Amino acid sequence: MRDVVVHCHPVEGSFSSAIRDAAVRGLISAGHDVTVLDLAAEGFRCVMTRGEWDSYMSGDATIPDDVAHHVRAVRDAEILVFTYPTWWSGLPAQLKGWLERVMLPGVAFTLESRRVRPALDHVRRIVVASTYGSPWLYVKVINDNGRRTLTRALRASTGWRARCRHVGLYAMDTATDDDRREFLVRVERAVAR
Amino acid sequence: MRVLVVHAHPSPESFVSHLRDAALDELAAAGHEVRHRDLWAEGFDPVFTADERLTHTGDLAAKLERHPELAPHVADLRWCEALVLVHPTWWSGQPAVLKGWFDRILMNGVAWRLPEGANRIEPMLGNVRRLVVVTTHGSPKWVNALQGEPGKRTALRSVRLMFTLGCRASWVAMYGLDRASEGRRAAFERRVRRRLRRLR
Repeated sequence: MRDVVVHCHPVEGSFSSAIRDAAVRGLISAGHDVTVLDLAAEGFRCVMTRGEWDSYMSGDATIPDDVAHHVRAVRDAEILVFTYPTWWSGLPAQLKGWLERVMLPGVAFTLESRRVRPALDHVRRIVVASTYGSPWLYVKVINDNGRRTLTRALRASTGWRARCRHVGLYAMDTATDDDRREFLVRVERAVAR
Repeated sequence: MRVLVVHAHPSPESFVSHLRDAALDELAAAGHEVRHRDLWAEGFDPVFTADERLTHTGDLAAKLERHPELAPHVADLRWCEALVLVHPTWWSGQPAVLKGWFDRILMNGVAWRLPEGANRIEPMLGNVRRLVVVTTHGSPKWVNALQGEPGKRTALRSVRLMFTLGCRASWVAMYGLDRASEGRRAAFERRVRRRLRRLR
């Protein structure tokens, strides 16, 4: 199987990198091929330009050069894994912008007479692994908006066929080394199951 | 009232940008003091950098010296009594440039502080007592309800909690823009104008 890990964290070598690596390890040990899209490392431009917006609206399906390799990876993918920190209850801007610039008409959905049809029907599973500064209860009260964006809005583009798994490490600022180690094990297991 | 309008749309000719113009008209007519930030027009970079991550609990003044482009946004946010956000809803939430404005401007020492040993942040933007969000959704309301309205909850819960306790919020949203008639658009513009004319 071909899988894509989309990773978004500004600091290489942070705990977030360890989460990405745990996800990759889990997928490889299950015998999958993995493509890692490391947004910060490649300096992914997450803001749509005026020109891109105009072609989006005119139904022009041109794929911008700098996202072509992202589109290729996503079109082949059976599993999409997202590793990121949750900020302001949502996705980091760079990851949010990845959805906007990569999940284009013709990639994530098609527009037929102004009706949206899902096009990610090859994706069987979406796995979300995120860290949170806030404790679990606080996240539940505010709502886990980044998670919802991926497991609902993006999942809709799979025709609601993809199964979703989510693993979260809450209250990061007071998490112990044991909590962190245990979390990495959970990530490694979650992606492969 | 001192009102900060933050606008996020790539095209000045879009319906959303037109709504922003309508909002600015009404605010000026009502005699408010207005500052306006057009994030696309000014090329705001929404990506939280490694330096900001590594110093996110560090000294504010030093950080603003290293990232001088953030300082005017911080000043605007501390100045305002009302924050008006105007943006399209994409993938169920704020466009990346506006999400990144939250990520970068709502920083430690400005919007919140984290007491020693705690994992719950404390709000600092007590000056903001009014939040208005004007947004459009391409898809119908039931689709957004099914998705759980992440953008709405981000603004009205997560971000608003940094403002004064009891900060009033208005969600002025249009759904189904992709298939909306001219009449529905005009009706929504009237609703936006009415809401901002009566801003208190």
